[in-house]
This record gives sequence, structure tokens and C-alpha cells, in this order.
Amino acid sequence: MLQSKVFNKKTRGGRIQKQVREVYLRDDIYCGAFACKSCDTSAARLSSPKIIVLDTNVVLHQIDLLENQAIDNVVVLSVVLDEVKNRNRSVYNRIRALCSNPAKQFYVFSNHVHKDTYVQAMERESANDHNDRAIRVATLWYQKHLGGTSQVLLVTNDRENKRKATEEGISAETIEAYVKSIGQPDLLDLLAQPTAEDITMEDADDSRPSKRKLVYLEHKPMSEITAGLHRGIYHQGKLRVNRFNPFEAYVGSESIGEEIIIYGRSNMNRAFDGDIVAIELLPRDQWQEEKALSIAEEDEDEDDTVHLAPNSADDAPRISSLAQETSGDKNAVPARPSGRVVGVIRRNWHSYCGSLEPMSLPAGSGGTAHALFVSKDRRIPKIRINTRQLQNLLNMRIVVAVDSWDRQSRYPSGHYVRPIGKIGDRETETEVVLIENDVDYSPFSSQVLACLPPLPWSVSSEDVSNPVRQDLRHLLVFSVDPPGCKDIDDALHCTSLPNGNFEVGVHIADVTNFVHPGTPLDDEASKRGTSVYLVDRRIDMLPKPLTEDICSLRADVERLAFSVIWEMSPEAEIISTRFTKSIIKSSAALSYVEAQARMDDSRLTDTVTTDLRNMNTLAKIMRQRRIDRGALTLASAEVKFQIDTETHDPLDIGMYQIREANQMVEEFMLAANVSVAEQILNQFSSCSLLRRHPTPTREMLEPLLRTAAAIGLTLDVSSSKALADSLDRAVGEDPYFNKLIRILATRCMTQAVYFCSGDLTPPEYHHYGLAAPLYTHFTSPIRRYADVFVHRLLAASLGIYKLPTVFQDRPQLTSVADNLNYRHRNAQMASRASVELHTLIYFRNRPTDAEARVVKIRSNGFIVFVPKYGIEGPVYLTAKGEKGAGDWYVDEEKQKIVKMDGSLSYSVLQTVKIHMEVVEPQPNRPKLQLTLL
Amino acid sequence: MVMRKLELPLSQTQKVRFKRAIERLQSLSSTANSDASVIVTDSIPVNHDDAFLKGHGTSEVDGELLATVCGVVERVDKLVYVRTLRARYKPEVGDIVVGRVIEVSQKRWRVELNFAQDGVLMLSSMTNPDGEQRRRTSVDELNMRNIFVEHDVLCTEVRNIQQDGSLQLHARSEKYGKLEKGQLLKVDPYLIKRRKHHFHYVDTLGIDLILGCNGFIWVGEHVEVRDPMIIVDQKNDETVSSSTNNTLKDQSHTTLETRQCICRIGNAIRVLSNLGFTMDLEVIMETFNLSNSKNIDIYDMLGSEFHVVVTENEAERRRAKRRN
Amino acid sequence: MEYVSPEGLRLDGRRFNEMRQIVAEIGVVSKADGSAVFEMGNTKVIAAVYGPREIQNKSQQLKHDRALVLCEYSMAQFSTGDRRRQKQDRRTTELSLVIRQTMEACILTELMPHSQIDIFLQVLQADGGTRSACINAATLALADAGIPMRDLAVSCSAGYLNSTPLLDLNYVEDSAGGADVTVGILPKTDKMDAKLPMETFETVFALASEGCKAIAERIREVLEENTKQLEYRRAA
Repeated sequence: MLQSKVFNKKTRGGRIQKQVREVYLRDDIYCGAFACKSCDTSAARLSSPKIIVLDTNVVLHQIDLLENQAIDNVVVLSVVLDEVKNRNRSVYNRIRALCSNPAKQFYVFSNHVHKDTYVQAMERESANDHNDRAIRVATLWYQKHLGGTSQVLLVTNDRENKRKATEEGISAETIEAYVKSIGQPDLLDLLAQPTAEDITMEDADDSRPSKRKLVYLEHKPMSEITAGLHRGIYHQGKLRVNRFNPFEAYVGSESIGEEIIIYGRSNMNRAFDGDIVAIELLPRDQWQEEKALSIAEEDEDEDDTVHLAPNSADDAPRISSLAQETSGDKNAVPARPSGRVVGVIRRNWHSYCGSLEPMSLPAGSGGTAHALFVSKDRRIPKIRINTRQLQNLLNMRIVVAVDSWDRQSRYPSGHYVRPIGKIGDRETETEVVLIENDVDYSPFSSQVLACLPPLPWSVSSEDVSNPVRQDLRHLLVFSVDPPGCKDIDDALHCTSLPNGNFEVGVHIADVTNFVHPGTPLDDEASKRGTSVYLVDRRIDMLPKPLTEDICSLRADVERLAFSVIWEMSPEAEIISTRFTKSIIKSSAALSYVEAQARMDDSRLTDTVTTDLRNMNTLAKIMRQRRIDRGALTLASAEVKFQIDTETHDPLDIGMYQIREANQMVEEFMLAANVSVAEQILNQFSSCSLLRRHPTPTREMLEPLLRTAAAIGLTLDVSSSKALADSLDRAVGEDPYFNKLIRILATRCMTQAVYFCSGDLTPPEYHHYGLAAPLYTHFTSPIRRYADVFVHRLLAASLGIYKLPTVFQDRPQLTSVADNLNYRHRNAQMASRASVELHTLIYFRNRPTDAEARVVKIRSNGFIVFVPKYGIEGPVYLTAKGEKGAGDWYVDEEKQKIVKMDGSLSYSVLQTVKIHMEVVEPQPNRPKLQLTLL
Repeated sequence: MVMRKLELPLSQTQKVRFKRAIERLQSLSSTANSDASVIVTDSIPVNHDDAFLKGHGTSEVDGELLATVCGVVERVDKLVYVRTLRARYKPEVGDIVVGRVIEVSQKRWRVELNFAQDGVLMLSSMTNPDGEQRRRTSVDELNMRNIFVEHDVLCTEVRNIQQDGSLQLHARSEKYGKLEKGQLLKVDPYLIKRRKHHFHYVDTLGIDLILGCNGFIWVGEHVEVRDPMIIVDQKNDETVSSSTNNTLKDQSHTTLETRQCICRIGNAIRVLSNLGFTMDLEVIMETFNLSNSKNIDIYDMLGSEFHVVVTENEAERRRAKRRN
Repeated sequence: MEYVSPEGLRLDGRRFNEMRQIVAEIGVVSKADGSAVFEMGNTKVIAAVYGPREIQNKSQQLKHDRALVLCEYSMAQFSTGDRRRQKQDRRTTELSLVIRQTMEACILTELMPHSQIDIFLQVLQADGGTRSACINAATLALADAGIPMRDLAVSCSAGYLNSTPLLDLNYVEDSAGGADVTVGILPKTDKMDAKLPMETFETVFALASEGCKAIAERIREVLEENTKQLEYRRAA
């Protein structure tokens, strides 16, 4: 083991500091080729006699190409990895994933500590040159090392590097030339467009250089941005584009303290959603002007699609603009500062799903065509791509990655990555939904599946004799779930005690008995975070054997459970609580309907039914008590599809009906979660995973209040209790009125989130919706990773297992909680998108008339909510394109839109009859249109 | 790896010569008792059947005799001990030591001897300046500073070692007493062997050389052992001119030649100490002569070349000695 | 931050169970009774031992039947990249105390009553693991001074980063915020900066102990060589 020392200089915080780092050079780093005689080939990857070495720029820009299976036998140098890591984290993760996939035959060669390929920095050599030199040295080493057996090729798009390499006797190629040499023309589409620093491609479009004009302002150089940030001229923050209006973006800046609005593409200046940008504030007098302009733009796009009724404030469009639009006339000073992007500090480019903008095919086939790609995600601008297979792609959903965006072009340029499927196809569109929401739907890897217990699995004698596991097989346990539920995570029991009290048990599938921390299975589950329920399929968090069999508390089989057992008085007071691992044998897996029917059928007196009734009685008391405490009974417009078993097309849509049985189960699950939350927080005050629901601010409730005021209803929002009471009082003449108000109220709230108890103070733990000081998720470990986490905490608090290491690491714990929130949100959005998709498919052949409620007034129409189908969409009173209110004017106070002559008016919450029909204004772009009858 | 490097710049040839000489020294000694050297926690092989006494630098742990210091295992009859190399002075009764007065206190002088504690020289353990044997009076106590003051160098003998480890000295002989007109050199005590004679008079040079067992070496102008009469005279002088006796004595001039000899011997000792060679009169004088014969200036003696020469000489000397 | 690459290499090219280069030299301060320089990679500590000698400040003497061990730890201002004002801060005091206690436990103080042993330690270069390097340097210096000891106190650190136990952390790894254990073999283990569960602790501890053994081996070699040389130079 040789060693040597290097001296690096490094600046930090503006000061120059000399850093001395040691480098231990090694002789035990192998080349990774199977053919090699002198190296240890146990970890070898490279099987082909043709080996390519990649330059950094190739990895950075051509990662999509590298992911194609045509590219293999690649040496990835550690210097390249390092630089990629510094430049683009997501590319780094992708190349790392490639390297860890044995099938791809990518080998990481740690050249920076190899004794023969270590390169000492030379005087006045830039980091870039140094890296390039290191790459050449390593390639040369490979050439010599593998000499006779293999052919080594350096693939670089850096002209200078290529020249030097050739001089040094290394065979080097550009990526374009290499791809051409493979002889798969399709791959050429995957090539990223060369940017200025790359070799300029001869066939790059020079057709219209003369008429190119600058569309965007120049990005300021980094040094200027740093200085500007330092002096407070510029502000740094993450750009978030309004999901419902791509021409409006927000930057939350710490230096300003409030959000800065950026209107219009030119002010956004080529920044994408999620980019870290530097912005400059516009002069105050421009704030207003920009806004007026934006609404003109906005009206074109906003709300022009019918979508699923939002369930919370997170899903709903930003409401600020409408409120300010109308008030803006009187009041000249806008509330929020607006700004302009002057530079992008860090790009958040990744690949996007969408389709090509329809265009006529170019005359000659086979040549390169320029096409515009429209992302499904409306926050993303159109992307220019070059393709040789335009004809194939026009009707396809495709994935496209962004490469660059220069000042001259209106749109960014990118390259085609892969096709998904035909537009409108249910499979394709579902896949788009999954990709758009970052849902990992790939099958579980073999490493993950290797963690499963051997099948068929059954309770073993060790499980029975395990002292921590209590044998509860004698209890009459049953489960109540939606019909056809296969992943049953909870079961219940209820027995009368001699003293008149009840013993009530909630038994939750003991997932942590099979999913051990640190295993690939656990990592995968943690990454997925939750199962995703789509209309026609379920993306499992855990592999199917666990989800549907081993963990699922099915009827008449013995299963392992984690139980919460209370002794309750007949008044549903909890007298004692205990937690135990257990073995249960469920005697019945009931559906909600069945359970309800049993309870309602007074002739039945069997034990299960009696237990059900007892529980229902208790649940009702608990529910009432909870409501008295201030828990909100919120409502959502969930719909249920009936799916054709053959074609998987939806046959019918209906509102999801909530029965007493649902509420009963829910009540006990809530109680179990609360009990567990108390227990784990008690034991692990700083590392528990809890769930909180922030109290909505008055501003968030504003739209609800305005709507209520318009119909003469006053709501008290001073506390959840007050709100609950006033919601209870809001009874209109028709039966649906109350529910509608509740739906509107729900929409104003943000979603509950997971958090790590150490990150917040106890008052912030509060769960507003449930009016509970503490809450967590414990009852669905099969489909939510948070519950798995909580199971481990609970087991540790009982001394059954030791606490896994992740709980010691606060930042990691926080990141786990963040990931869970992210996955949870995405899962919900994916399900919503899936429902929207199926709604569209459903109405495709069924134009329908339905009753709808006006929920929002617009200048040229109103937005209606169709309770039966749970959808929401605009109804235009004036034809689209005709700007201005024309015949109609809006009464802001009363939330009314009135015809000029006063003959007709529509006010909020009014019932209207509408017609729903799928139209295709453009080929392959079907959408649901609502028209007033 | 050379552990104890010479802090000297050596030229390439010097390095080679030095290395060769050191290797020669090593080969000469290796045949003697190479396995005897131990370091801390090394186990010392003993025959457990025979009774043995564990001495300094050993401790018995779980029936195994372990060294607690680095050094060389010595066995004297049943006694097994580790002779330390670099360490502070380990006094034995009767050792002749050279020391420096640190403090004058109640009826005693505290003397720095390179021991774990300061040595104590009681006024009562001192031969009276007048040579009389009598009880000390308070006047004597008041006059202690007339005999030794702080920083005086003196030569004494170890009287006994107390239970608590403190060291008692005595100076009940004319040969002991204050040392003047010379140099005090400090070397590691292990370099000086206990011998019959520690006082040496180099009559050719008129130099006194006292090799204190504690590693303090005195090189000074020869002083005749004073007969009692002179001392009486001196005492009279002292009573008259109080503490001006120093100046009085200094009037007797030390010649430049003598002073140069003192320095040359001093440097010879320094060189030997740097190289870690055992010192006795013979070696010191040989080194002294070597420097003279090679015409090396006094100040050059501490240079690299002379170190190498001495090393080579030492190797040669030991080889010659072994042959005999 | 990735401190261990998927290839199993640390930032400086070591594997998880590899130590940095160790250089040890005895006898570097001529005035001292014992002295040593100990280097672990870029961490360099000089130690000087004086004593046993007369107690300088009698009030410090607590026990009369054994030697008083004092330790002074300091960090040279040039030891790190950014020049920081050195003050007698808590860390310094604590480190002095830890080293003092460690060394006190292994010196046979009862053999040297009424005397004191001073250990001076100065960090010349700091690159992580100064605590360990100090203990190792002190051990060498004490052995050089011929002070009787029960055992050779050696120390090595190990930490836990990226879910991997790592031996002998350098500065970058040390400041990563992961848990690390400095193990002094023989007398005792000292402190940890972050929490670690028991099982992990055990593996980290075991790793550090292995490191200690390797260091002990190295120290023994150095001492043995030194002792032999002193002896044959002295000669009979």
C-alpha cells in the first residue's frame, strides 16, 4: 500500500484556506474486466472485449443514452463520478444506479487512489484540466493493462480532451460517432443536443441563424450573482411554478421574508419549476402592471380543464389571484412584491412525460425533424426536440429530457428519452400518471424478494413460544374492510368482561416481523413510502406475498399481529391500555356492507354480530366525544368506479357511500393511533414519528368565508370546535347543502403531515382536524411506511426490539418524514389523476346530463362541482376568447354573475343543470366539456 | 528506522560511515546479551520452580513476571530486575554524587540530583569548616550561607534513602564539598557505571574529573585536598571579610590552557553523551586525546564530523577490547 | 455527504479498517527526561515528560503515597488551516484531564511517592484523532523517561459514518457529525460525541480496539528498537 500526500487549496466563506489532505494510493484496485489475468476478477463487470471509458461531459449530458441497454461495458472513473456529483446530483444518482446494476456492466474504477493512475495536480492547472488529464491517464492505463485482450475507447465530447487523448495515443471518439458506430439509429434520438461547450454538431440547425433574436435577458454571471446576493440586491430561492397557471411562479425568499411573485415567461427567464434561482425585485410601480397582464394570460389557461374536485388546499389552485383581481381595481398597491429571475443557481431539470405538439410530417421521411414537446405537467414549458422518428412519436406519450435553454430560443431544447405508449390508451396514460407523480412502479428487485420468508408461510412454533408474543388465537377477532380488500392490515375484537366493561382490541398486521431495518426490502419500502391506489390497479409498497398473504389478516388463518388492547367502560372511557405482539386467528373478514347488514338485522344474535353492535355503541360514544372536543367532520367527494373485469374500462361512477360500519372501524383506528402516539412519544420524546395537522390560517379559510357570506351564512373559525359547531348549524333547505359546505371547508385546509417529534415543539404536534394533541399512523403498516416506522418505535418502547440506528440520526429521520410526506402527496395526486383519467374514459362514450353546484364565480362564467361524479370544471357563459365580461358582470359581494340586462343570474352554491361530454378540440387531446343546459 | 537520531546534519559519506560504525557496535554487542532487553509489559522468563525475587522494574501479574520499564533484564542470584536505560537517577547508599544547591532552609540544603526528589544535605551531616566534631549551634545555622548558597555545585555522598523515598546526603570528608572553577555536565545516569573511584585527577592537565553516579559530571581545575590548617586560615578570612571569600579565591587565576582543557573534556563528554556511550575516565580521555590528535577545535567537537569519528573510534576500541 | 464510496473507499483512499500512516520517534526534546513525536497521517503531536521530580507546588499534592501526574495539552496555533486564538477553553481542559487520567492509570505512581511527573503535549498538526495521538505520544515519552508503567496505554478512534464503522477518522470524517469513539486500551474508554446504539457501538468499539492493538504493536516495535540501540551503544 503506497501512500502520498497532496496539498489542495480551497476557498470557503470568501477566505483562502490551505487544506491538506492525504491520499493513500492503493495497489488493490482492479480493472474489473473478466478477461484480465493479473487482477482479482471477483468483482469484475466488464465482459466484452470492447470497453469504453466515459468523460464527465458525456455522463452529465447523455445519461439518458447511457441508461439504454445498448450501452454496456463501460468504465466509470471515480473522478468522473465526483465531478458529476458536484454538478448534478440527480444524474449522479442515476449513474450510480447504473453502476450497481450488474446487467449494465458498468464498472467504477477508483482511479484517484490507484497507484498508477493517481494524478498530482500541476501548477496552474485548472480543476477541469486536471480531471481531463486524470481521465486520459486512466484510459491509457486501461489500454496498457488490458493491452491484448480488450479494446479501450475514450468517449468524450470535449474537443480539447479528445485532441490531447489522440495525441497521447488513446483512441477517442465523440459520443455521436460512437453511437453511430453501434449502428442503432434510434439511439441517436437519445443524444442530448450539444451545448456551446460541446463539439458543435455539423448538422445542428443553422437554417435560421440570421433571424434569431434574443428572447430572454442574459443570466448574470455567477460571481455577480454571489455579490448581488451578498449585497441584498438579489434574492435566492426555489422557484415554484403555479400548478394551475404556468405563467405565474413564486419564490420563497428568506431575505425578503415573503413570497415574491414572478409573472410571465420573460420574467421567469428560462427558470424551471424547482430551480434555485436568483431574482431581482421589480420596481414597485411595475408590480401592478405585471399582474393585470398576467390575468389576461391566465384566463386562457386556468381552469379550462375539468378535474377532480380538490380535497385540500394543497390540491386546489392558488386562490389569491381572483381575490386580488377584483379588489385590485379599487386598491392600487398590490400586497406582494414581484420580481424577475436574473440567474439560475441550480437547475432542477429532469425528464418529463408528455407528447409532441401535433404537426405535419416533414416532406422527406427519415431525416431529422424538429418538434415541440408538451409536458403533461403544465408547469413545464414546451420543449424543442430533434427526432428521426417523428411519425412514430406523434401519437405517443414520450419521456423527454431537457438539455439547454439559450437566450435566443423561446423554448428549451431537449432530447427524446423513451416512448411510453399510445396517447389516450389507458395503460399509457396510467403510466404517465405514475411517472408524473414520481411513483416507482417497477417490479421488486430480486434482492428485495430475497428478503421474503419462504412460502408458503405459516405461524411457526417459535412464534408461538416467543415470550414477547401473546397467543390471542382464542379471541373472536374479525376484520371489516371495503369489499374485495386483500391487504387487510387491521382486525378487531370486543369481549365483555365480568365487571361490565369491555375489552376491545385492535390488531394490526405485524409487518415489522418480516421487514427488518437495513434490508433491501426495508429500503425499498422506505423509498416507496406508501402503496398507491389507482382506479384499476394498486402499486404495492411491499411485495405481493407480504401484502396479500403473509401480513394480511385474512379470515381463518393464523397471523402475527401487533395489538392494542383497551379495557373500556360501557361509557367508552379507556380504563387501561396495553400493547403486545400477538398471534390471532381472524374468524371473519367482513366487508363494510356485510358488517352493516349484520348490525342492522335484529334477528341475528351470534357472537360476531353482538360484538359488532357493542363496538358500534362504543364507537358512537367515542365519536361524539371527539366531535364535542372539536374534531371536524369533513367531507370529500370521493367517487367509486365499477370496472369492467374484462376491459378494465369503467362501467359506472358513483359517490362513495360511508356507512356506520366505516365510521366504527375508523373510530377504533383513530383511538389506536392516539394511544400509540402517546406511548412512543412518552418513550422517545425526540425521535418519534408523528402526524400533525396545522391549524388553518384565516387567510386560508378566506374563500370559504366569502362563499358563506354570500349566501348569508356566518361561520365561526376561531377554533376547530367553533368551526365544527357552525358547520353543524349550516343546514340549508336541500339535504346536500351541508355536505357541500363541508366539502368547501375541507378544501381550505392543508393536509396533515408526518414529522419527527424532535423537530417541533409539543404545541405544534396538534392535529387540528381530529382535535387531538397527538396523532400518528400505526394501523396500516402494509400500505404505509410511516406505520412500519411507528411499529418499530412502539416495539422499542416495549423493549421488544432495539431501536434501529436511523432513529439516532435526526437529519435522516427528518428526511424520512419528508420523503413520506412527499410520497403520500404524490400517491394521492396519482390516485386523483387516475380517477380523472377514468372519468374521462367513462364519459367518452356517455354524454351525460347532471346536476351541479356553482362553487366559484369567474368573470366569464363559473366553476361547477358535480357531486355525483366528484368532478369540478368551468362552465363558460361567454365563448372562450371573447375577452371582457361582455354581457355579464360579477357581483363580488354576493358572489354572483349577473347578465347585464338582469334577466339571468347565477350565484354561488346554486344548483344548475349541466351537460357533460368528451370533445376533442385537437386530435389525441380529448377533454371533458361542461355546458349549461 | 533510527530511533534516537543525531540532531546533526550529516553528509552522505558521514551518514554511511556513521551507519557502518553503529552497525559494527550492534554486531559487537549482539553476541553478548541481545535477548535481555525488554520493554514495558514484556514477560520476563523465570523458572517458577526456583524461588526468585522480583526486583526493580518488574511486577507479577497472573503468575507472569512483567517488565514495567524498558531496559535490560539482570539476574543476580535469585534476584531478577530490569536495569533501566534512560531514566532518572536511582540512588544507592554510598554513591558519590554531584549536585546543585536548590534551596537553603532550616538546617539543611536541598540539592538537585536528577532524582525523583531533591536530595537533603543536613547541616549536621557536613564536616564543620573547622573540622571539629561538635553539636551545631544556632550560629552555625545562621552561617549556612557561608558554606553553600543556591546554585552552588557540590559533591556529596548518599547517606541513606528514607522510607518515603527521600534521599539523605552527607559530606563528612574533605574530598566532598563545594566545586568551583569548572563545568557541570549532565548526562543520562545509565551512562556512568558505579566504580571504586569516581574522583579522578588528570595530573598531566591539572584537571579534576568527578563522575557523579547521578549522571552529573564535574570537570574543573585541580584543587589540592586542603589540609585543616589552610581551612582554618580560610575560616579566619571568612569571618573577617564575610562572604567576600569568593572574590578572594577568584584572585587565584586559572590559566587559559587549563580552561581550554576543561572545555575540551566537557565537549568530549557531551559527544559521548549524545552518542549514548558509557563513560569512564579512559573513554573520556581517549576522546579528549582523539580531538587533540585530529586537531579538532574545541567548538568543532560538537560538529557532525567529530561525532562520526568518535563513533568509529568507539567501535574500534570495543573490538580491540573484545579480542584481548 | 458520502464518506465511503460504494466501492468501499474513503475520501483519502483508505478502506474502512485501515489506519493512516504512523510515524513515531523517541527522544526529540533533549532537555526532557522523555519525549516523543507521534504522527498519524497528518496529525502530529509532540510529547515531553519531566520527572519524576520534586513537587513544585505542594498544594497540588493530594496523595502522599504516590506520584502526582500533571498534564498540559495545547494546540499550536499553526496546527490547523485557520489560525485561531488559542485559549484555555473547555475542550483543552477536558482533553488535558482525559489524558492525565489515562496516563495516571497506567503509571505505577505508588513507586514514586513525593514526586511529580509532568507531561506536556502539543499538537503540531491537527487532522483528526488528536486525542488518540496525544495518548500514544505520551505513552512513548513516558516509556522513554523510564517511568514504570503497568501497561502501554494506546489509543485509536473509530467512528460510524454512512452506516459503516470507520477506523482512525481524519479531520474531515471527524467533523462529519457522526458518532466516534476514542478507545484507550488498558485503562478506559473515553467520550463520544453522538449517540450510538449498543450493537453498533460494539462493532465500532471492536474496530477501535483492533486499531489500538495495531498501534500498540507499532509502539512496541519503536520502543524495542530504541531500547536495543541504547543498550548496545552503551555496551559493557
